Parts: sequence; C-alpha cells; structure tokens
Amino acid sequence: MAKKYELNEVEVWDGNMAAAHALRQAQVDILAAYPITPSTPIVQNYSKFLADGYVDGEFIMVESEHSAMSGCVAASAAGVRAATATSSQGFALMVEVLYQASGMRLPIVLTVVNRALAAPLNVNGDHSDMYLGRDAGWINLCSYNPQEAYDLTLMAFKIGEDLNVRLPVMVHQDGFICSHTAQNVKPMQDEEAAEFIGEFKPVNSMLDVSNPVTHGVQTEEDWHFEHKARQHHDLMNSVETIKKVFKEFEDRTGRKYDMVYTYKMDDADVAIFALGTTVESAQIAADQMREKGIKAGVVSLRVLRPFPFNEIADVLGNVKAIGVMDRSAPGGTFGAMFNEISAALLARGKSPVVLNYIYGLGGRDTTIEMLKGVYEDLAKSAEAGEAVVPLQQFVGLRGPKLAFY
Amino acid sequence: MVKKIKNLKEFSLSNDRFEGANLMCPGCSHNIIVREVLNATDDPVIVATATGCLEVCTAVYPKTSWDVSWIHIGFENAAVAAATVSAAYEVMKKKGKLPPATQKMVDEGREPKIVAFAGDGGTYDIGFQSLSGAFERGHNFMYVCLDNEVYANTGGQRSSSTPIGASTTTSPAGSVSYGEKMMKKSMVEIMADHGAPYVAQVSPSKWKDLVKKVQKGFEVYGPVYINAQSACTTEWKHAPEDTIEVSDLGVDSCVWPLYEIINERDEHGIIYSTKLNITYRPKTKIPVEEYLAAQPRFRHLFKPENRHIIDLWQKAVDARWEYLQKREEAGV
Amino acid sequence: MARDLKEIKDINEIKDLGWDELIPGAALFSFTEPVEDVAEVPMEERPYAPTNSHEWQVGDWRVEKPVYNRDLCIDCQFCWVFCPDMSILSRDKKMIGVIYEHCKGCGICVEVCPTNPKSLLMFPEHMDNDEALSMWPKKEEKDK
Repeated sequence: MAKKYELNEVEVWDGNMAAAHALRQAQVDILAAYPITPSTPIVQNYSKFLADGYVDGEFIMVESEHSAMSGCVAASAAGVRAATATSSQGFALMVEVLYQASGMRLPIVLTVVNRALAAPLNVNGDHSDMYLGRDAGWINLCSYNPQEAYDLTLMAFKIGEDLNVRLPVMVHQDGFICSHTAQNVKPMQDEEAAEFIGEFKPVNSMLDVSNPVTHGVQTEEDWHFEHKARQHHDLMNSVETIKKVFKEFEDRTGRKYDMVYTYKMDDADVAIFALGTTVESAQIAADQMREKGIKAGVVSLRVLRPFPFNEIADVLGNVKAIGVMDRSAPGGTFGAMFNEISAALLARGKSPVVLNYIYGLGGRDTTIEMLKGVYEDLAKSAEAGEAVVPLQQFVGLRGPKLAFY
Repeated sequence: MVKKIKNLKEFSLSNDRFEGANLMCPGCSHNIIVREVLNATDDPVIVATATGCLEVCTAVYPKTSWDVSWIHIGFENAAVAAATVSAAYEVMKKKGKLPPATQKMVDEGREPKIVAFAGDGGTYDIGFQSLSGAFERGHNFMYVCLDNEVYANTGGQRSSSTPIGASTTTSPAGSVSYGEKMMKKSMVEIMADHGAPYVAQVSPSKWKDLVKKVQKGFEVYGPVYINAQSACTTEWKHAPEDTIEVSDLGVDSCVWPLYEIINERDEHGIIYSTKLNITYRPKTKIPVEEYLAAQPRFRHLFKPENRHIIDLWQKAVDARWEYLQKREEAGV
Repeated sequence: MARDLKEIKDINEIKDLGWDELIPGAALFSFTEPVEDVAEVPMEERPYAPTNSHEWQVGDWRVEKPVYNRDLCIDCQFCWVFCPDMSILSRDKKMIGVIYEHCKGCGICVEVCPTNPKSLLMFPEHMDNDEALSMWPKKEEKDK
C-alpha cells in the first residue's frame, strides 16, 4: 500500500511538480514515459515518489515516446490506469499512437508541457505540439498556471474514465513559464483526491482471461467510417461529463472551471483570445487598457477539444474586435485558433473584426506592452468598424514588419 | 504449468485457441507457428501482434480469429505492447486486483503467458528499437518473430532479414542485378546479446523442437526471443502444399539451423554462463542449392552469370554452421 | 449505448449496424459468455460469438479439396500439426476428418501424410467424397 504523502494546505510547486503530484494521487498503475525537456521533471518527480514508497504502480522508463504511448495503450487495454508526460518532439513521435489511443477508446492521461517543434530545434514554450495533436481525437484541457495543471490533471482521469466517455485526455501547460515557475498550489489530500477520481473501471480488459477480447482491429471501407463517427459523437458528447466533473470539483474545492474562460468580458468592446500562460499576462494588459478607458477583456479555452463552438460564439459574439493569439507557426495559413474562432462567429451570424497575431514562437517573451499593442490595434479597428491593420501580424519579431492580408 | 507433450498424438489433444476462417494465405507458415506456440501451453495466453500478415488477416472487423485476448497497436510496437501488458499484469497481481477468473488460474499455478508475434519487418527493421528496449528492461514475455524474410503483407519488399540473392519487389532480379545484395541480419545473436535468459531459432516443420523451446521459454522469467522460420508461399513463390518441405530443406541444409542460447544469471542478475546448443543436426547436410532451387524467388541465381551467388551462399552457410558448432563445443 | 456484441447470436444482426450501435473502440469478442479455461474446452463446446471467425467459412477459396480415407490412416497426426487452418479434426488422438468450412485447400495435409497410399488426397472441389474414395490409388511401389 502506497504511503500517504503529507501535504500542506498550500504547497509551492511548479507546474511539473503539480502534475507529478496529481499523477501520484491518481495512483496510476502503469506510467510509461521517456524524458524530454521541459516535461522531464514530471517523470523525475514521479520516479522519486515511487522510490520513496508513495506509488504502488509501475514506472516504466521506455526507450522512446513512441513506446511510452504504445505502453500506455497496451496497459489501458489490459484494464489498468495508464498515464505519461511529454513535450514537443516527443509528442510528435507519439502522434501515430495518439490516434490509436483515442480510436481504441482508452482513457489514458497525457500531461503535455508545451514546447516548440524543430527545426530549428528549440526547447522553449509555444503551442506547436498542442496544435499538432488537436485532431487526434483526445479531450484537450488547457491550464494557465501550476494550480490549474494540478486540478485539470486530477479531473482528466475522472473525465476520461467515465463510462460515457472512455477517451484519452491531454492536459496542457506552457513549457517553463508554467512548468518551471513555482507558485502557490492548494492540493487535495491524498485520500480526498483518490475518492474524487475513484477506482479505475476496466472495460474489456485483456487481463480477464475468461473473456477474450480483440483490441486494435482492422476496419476497411465498410466499417471504418461508422467507428470514427461513433468516436466523434462520443467526443462531442463528453461535454456533459466534463461539465459534471468541473462542477463536482468546484463543490469540493471552490475552484470553478468552465468550458470557456473569460475575464472582464461582460462589457468588453475588444478582446484578446489566447491559450496558456498568455491568458494571465493578457489580464494585466486588459486592466491597464481599462485604466485608459478601453473596455478590454480576455477569452480562453479551458477545453480545446471538444471545441466549445457555441460558448465561444456567445462570449465573443458581441465584442467589436478580437485579437486571436496563435503561438504556433501557422504554416501557410492563419493560426488554427483564428480559423476556429472565426468559423464559430461566422456560423452564428456574428461579424466582429477578427485579427490574427502570431507570437511567442520558441519561447519568445510575451510582454504586457506587446499585448497592449494588440489591444490598441483592436480599439482602432473597433472604432473604424473594420480592420485597420493587416489581418495576420507577427508580433515581437525582429526585422521588417511581417504581416499578411 | 508445463504441459506434458510426449509425442504428436498427445499434442493433438490440444484445443486450438487460434481459429479457422482467418484470411491468411493457404499454406501459410505463420498459422502453423502460431498454433504450435499457443498449443505448447494450456495456461492462459495473451497476445500482442505487430501490423503485418498475421494482424491484417486475423482481426478484420467484425471477425476475430483469436480465442485469447489480443492486441494490435502498430507496426513497430508489438514488443512494448506485450511487455507493458506483462507489467500491467504484475502490477494488478501485486495489488490483488486481477479479474477473478485470472486470479483463479494464477492460484492454480497457471499464470498467463504473454506473447508477441511480429514479422521480420516488424522485428528486424521498424520494431527493432521497441524490441531492444523491452528486452533491456527485462519484461517477462515471449517475442516470436515470424520470419518470412520479406514484407509479405505489403507485396514483397526486402527487409533486413531478406537473404542475399532473393528477388523481392524492391530488390528485383534483373538483367544487371541478382536481387538482394545484403546478407541476412543475425537476429538471434543480437537478441541473445541483450542478456535474455532464453533465445532460440525454430522451424514449424520441426514441431517438437519448436514446442520444447517455447515451453522452455515459458518457464524462464524474463524476455524470450524465438526466431521462427516462416516459409511464405506468396513471396518465396513455392506451392502452398510445399511449405513443410521447403522448411525442412532450410533446416537440413543448415540455412536455418535450429539452436538455442541460454544466458544463466546468478541472484544478482549477473550472467555467469552463456550456452549455445544446436538442437537439431541433419543426418545428411544437403547442399544449399536444393533449398534455393525449391523457391522461385531464387530462380535467377541458376543463370550462369549468377551462379557465384549460390557458391557464396554455400560458403556463408558452411561458415555459420561451423561457427555455431564451435560455440557449442566451447560452451559459450 | 452500443448494443453489446457479446449478446448478438446471429451474424446477420451485425452486418448492417449503424455508427450508434457499435462498441466503442471496435473491440471484438471471442465468445458470447465467459469461458473459464479455454484450453480445456473443445471447439464443439465453445460459446463462439458470431464475431469469431470460427463461425465463418473460407471453403470457397478451394479449387481442390483434401479427401480423407479412414481405412488407411495411422493417426500419426502430421496432418493435424501442420494444418495452417485448424481444419483437421482430431479427437482422442484419432483423426476424424476435415473441417471443410475452414480448409483453404493448401494441400499440406496430403504432402505430409506418410501412409502408402496416402490417407489424404486432393480431389476436385465438385467431386463427391464417396466417388473420390472409390477412385483411391493402390499402394505405390517405392523405387529401390
């Protein structure tokens, strides 16, 4: 029996330590992982918990991220709780198996510490890895600070393992700015966390030798479409469970989570949409803009997948101008969030000015001044009733202004 | 629990846990190997399979040919899949949370045997990293390579197991080429050098040797590698009914020697003894040419300009046979 | 919720399932009810699920079929052990016959049969087995 870890009411943890404690409290049966900056401390911390008797399960340090996710898939199909952590190139190497995990409907938890994708090689935070996996059929939860990384990792187990969901869940946090920044975190005590998450409920377990089951079949044109449709349906409908788990978590901790995160949006004329730690920076920028008389607000996603299409249209539908911040090289089009948010607004008959900002690639510092500059673009465009700047701009970049459209 | 199999009649009392009406080619060796492996034990078996012929022909929705739990994830990860199922089993056993039927078997001394099946593409090539990692970590499972020396499932491309002179769709014989240029990779020794407790090479035609080795493999704790010769009617291009004969030609020419390597460890895990045993010696060692002649994938080698490759083959096989005998004699 | 494939008895019930009726993750089951010790249960007593390939047939792949002659058989079980398709039915160490639903007609059983004349021979698929038996060859003189 694993030892109880004595926790203070308030701990000072960075995002990696917060995620590691959540994995420990979930008493994961198989944690198969491979180290990669900046998520490495998650598995290092976890290994130490194991070495000190705080974990009953097994930690398997595999030889690659591909094997880490493959191991999670096999363990989950065997009917045990499985989790891992990764970033960037490791995430990219996992991609093949991410699709297997969701297609086989295995409630694996993956803590992703977001980092840029090479080339050129870069160890710092941006959202390239998050965007790479966004169509992989996983539930994607987004945190902005260590407390949320902890909370959402605990909730990830409960959401994914729900019998109406049975899907894998990623929990994102920003590399370094969240993962390596120590902040106050209020944890649950071990027994409360265990009670909240509940026992793992095996479904079609390979270890039950009296009920042989075949996992990972071949489906061709006569079946594949129906299976992918079923998977999409269940992912879309996981919203109900996500909301239920958010509510139960709020009842226990007082910390409230919604599909969409908003800051001062009730009367906002202009809004920044961002993900990750930029959300908190944007709040400071919004406050400073409000001192200048500009009604600025901030919007983010708590749940990237399933995408809260209606909620996004609702919170952004009535502002005059929106700056969508995409922290990933857009690769020949607009940023992914710009496209998705624009689609949600257009489909709901809303037509605010929507501008796209590519920023912070490879960990480039995201300053309050930069975000205030975005708000100023938005305020001018709002006043003019149309974009007075190019639709896509790179900000915080050296050299001549880079903009399109 | 070791199943008693004194002779073939006794073996025939086995109840297959691999089912008919799968979609494997008529005369396929893979099936014969899978049967022999599964029937070598009456303990529960859990199988992981790499992408390949065996996978695409035995689990095509909505049909499964498996009466044991089975998983396929991808081409390159059968080893880690089996290894992690094994780890999951051990965690659940330790926690006392095995499903009741499984716990009952364990209480009777019949622990589940966890087996990975993969082709040579999934083993020698794309799955090699996963295989090497799983063996280094020492998981308790058996890995069986169904070695047909070619990517048969995708239409006969060369792998690093394809032997020299074979014509494949990516190393075709032509007016200026005798086909595959490289010698076959020595997978058995590579896996033995991982320190695995038991490694063996088998042929389905020598069923008793195969079953005995599989049983030995099930009895040791740790990763076990079995390299199984799998004559492929489609890509070796012999008639389906000749599968066993071609396999025998391979064994009797010493192209496919049957042997085992046992690494014994002390209580600290240090290997104190490595022994190589040749488990089958042909009464008459037949010329390699007879083995090659039985397979149209080598037909072009019999043209005058390619005869030197047949000579090379014989030299390579003789040298290898000599090497194995020397190792056996030396007890290393 | 998806229909439980384990409860479906007839394959025709699953061939037209819509997306909403599928088991999440495309899992397939071997049996319709738990089988505690599969290795101890012969195929004729197993509760095969319609999703088990055992319930299907591939006999139409054949051009020629193996015909079995009980009178000549010595029950050596070579045909049983080398059959790739679990199509030689042996019980209590005796060869009983060929499972034509699963036999693909590869002919290995005939090749490995050691009796003289052989106890298994290939005949055209359309020929009646009794007719085949009536045409069975005589013992071959071995070349010295």
